[in-house]
Amino acid sequence: MIEFKDVSVTYSSTGVDALNDINLTINDGDFVFIVGESGAGKSTLIKLLQKEIDATSGKIMVNGFDLTSMKRRKIPNLRRTIGVVFQDYRLIPTMTVYENIAFVMRCVDAPKKYIKTRVPYVIGLVGLSDKADCLPEELSGGEQQRVALARALVNDPKLIIADEPTANVDPALTYGIFELLKGINACGTTVLVVTHDLSNVVHFGGRIIRLEKGSITIDQVFGGAEE
Amino acid sequence: MRVSTYKDLIGQGIKGVWRNRMMSFASFCIMLVSLLLVGLTFLLALNLNRAIDSMEEKNEIVVIINDGVSQEQIDELGQSIQSLANISGCEFFSRDQAWQDMVADMTEEEKDLFQYADDNPLPDTYRVTVVDIETMGNTTVQISALENVESVKSPNEYADVLISIRNILTLVSTAIIAALVVVCLIIISNTTRASVFSRRKEINIMRYVGATNRFIRIPFFVEGMLIGVLAGVCSLFLTKFVYVGLYDILTNNMNILTALGISSLYSYDSIVKYVATAYIVAGAVIGAIGTTISTSKYCKV
Ligand SMILES: Nc1ncnc2c1ncn2[C@@H]1O[C@H](COP(=O)(O)OP(=O)(O)OP(=O)(O)O)[C@@H](O)[C@H]1O
Ligand SMILES: [Mg+2]
Repeated sequence: MIEFKDVSVTYSSTGVDALNDINLTINDGDFVFIVGESGAGKSTLIKLLQKEIDATSGKIMVNGFDLTSMKRRKIPNLRRTIGVVFQDYRLIPTMTVYENIAFVMRCVDAPKKYIKTRVPYVIGLVGLSDKADCLPEELSGGEQQRVALARALVNDPKLIIADEPTANVDPALTYGIFELLKGINACGTTVLVVTHDLSNVVHFGGRIIRLEKGSITIDQVFGGAEE
Repeated sequence: MRVSTYKDLIGQGIKGVWRNRMMSFASFCIMLVSLLLVGLTFLLALNLNRAIDSMEEKNEIVVIINDGVSQEQIDELGQSIQSLANISGCEFFSRDQAWQDMVADMTEEEKDLFQYADDNPLPDTYRVTVVDIETMGNTTVQISALENVESVKSPNEYADVLISIRNILTLVSTAIIAALVVVCLIIISNTTRASVFSRRKEINIMRYVGATNRFIRIPFFVEGMLIGVLAGVCSLFLTKFVYVGLYDILTNNMNILTALGISSLYSYDSIVKYVATAYIVAGAVIGAIGTTISTSKYCKV
């Protein structure tokens, strides 16, 4: 569960008001699209969720953590409940697909045995079983993105955030990625997708939050063509 | 964290030294030279101190009084000596007393030899002790200028030289140590920073998936401390080489030591434990602090 109460962010270095008085509740199991033009404050919102930056004012709760009052050394605990698919994937170029995913499990001190069964499972989930030993540079953009997705969900987070998951892949692949995210969401994980691409949003349906110049102008649930 | 995780992290640290080998080697060399300089200076000071201590134990100036002066003149001299600065004691030692002491120390044979000596050849003396051995040379000069003093024997003319050497050494070595510690910290922190930089992509991911500070930093600590400890161990071997060499030269030529009034030096074996501990602890601590400087700046969660 995510709760924003009167949250504002002003970047002190530039004095830019990136978010103004945001009030927002996202329940567990929601599938949410965040749309908005460049500079609207989408990435700022995500950075807040991960406590990479702090709100200038207001109160934020994420997965049971009160971000305004929590201690810095508890931040890892918060981040373990969130999986992120970065726009540029950020795979480690010297590691194979398998190693990239196993790596983030080691980071949270998962048992070795569990890593051995869990990693092949999530690689299978995103349909890359035959590429497990490839390096990222040997994969297409769409495949790399699926690795990034597998890595985001391998530690079984409550919330998955995908920043512009469709920006660098062609429309046919976009479809596949949203299918995957829908599947993950169906298992109870909250999914938050940041995108420019309204056509997909309308096609798949879900809750749409539109940011404009740091404020929420639309917050509404669309049925979607499928349902 | 699991034991196996710790093992992994330590292994990564060791790999880090190799991956970053140019920088690691540079900082190893600088640490080695620094530790060696500090260590050898310290050992030199240690031995000087020992020499000075042994001199301080016999900080007695023997004032030989002219022959045939009256008791009054002797007393007068005693008072003049005591009125000088830096005097802690001044005891009259008559020639008869000195003779008796000497006889008491003799073997039977020597006694036989001396029983025919018709006259006591020893002079009257004052035994003067000083407060501060550092200005003993000065005091000696002042006493020898007094009336009825035939000559003054101070046990060690080099005492003040040794002491000023020690004082300069203390001053210079404190400055050098401070400077070298700073240099070592900078080089170590730069080395681990380079290592952090070469792994920045991994670190970035680690932060996002919720790795703890400890998990992220341990490999770098291992790296920094390993370089420090290796430098410490190598310094130890080089120190042994230099120290034992010098020790042999000095002790085989007793003249040098006795000329300096030094009874003995610390043998390497008697101090090796402390030297080893000091080097290794210093290497590890500098490595750890240097790493803290770089990681607290560049791998914050
Ligand atoms: N680190 C920063 N320091 C100062 N200002 C910033 C910083 N990051 C973002 N901003 C400003 O805050 C505003 C919102 O930025 P944000 O990155 O949240 O936009 P966005 O919606 O993610 O845009 P895009 O779609 O281009 O990624 C922008 O005006 C931007 O210039
Ligand atoms: Mg953005």
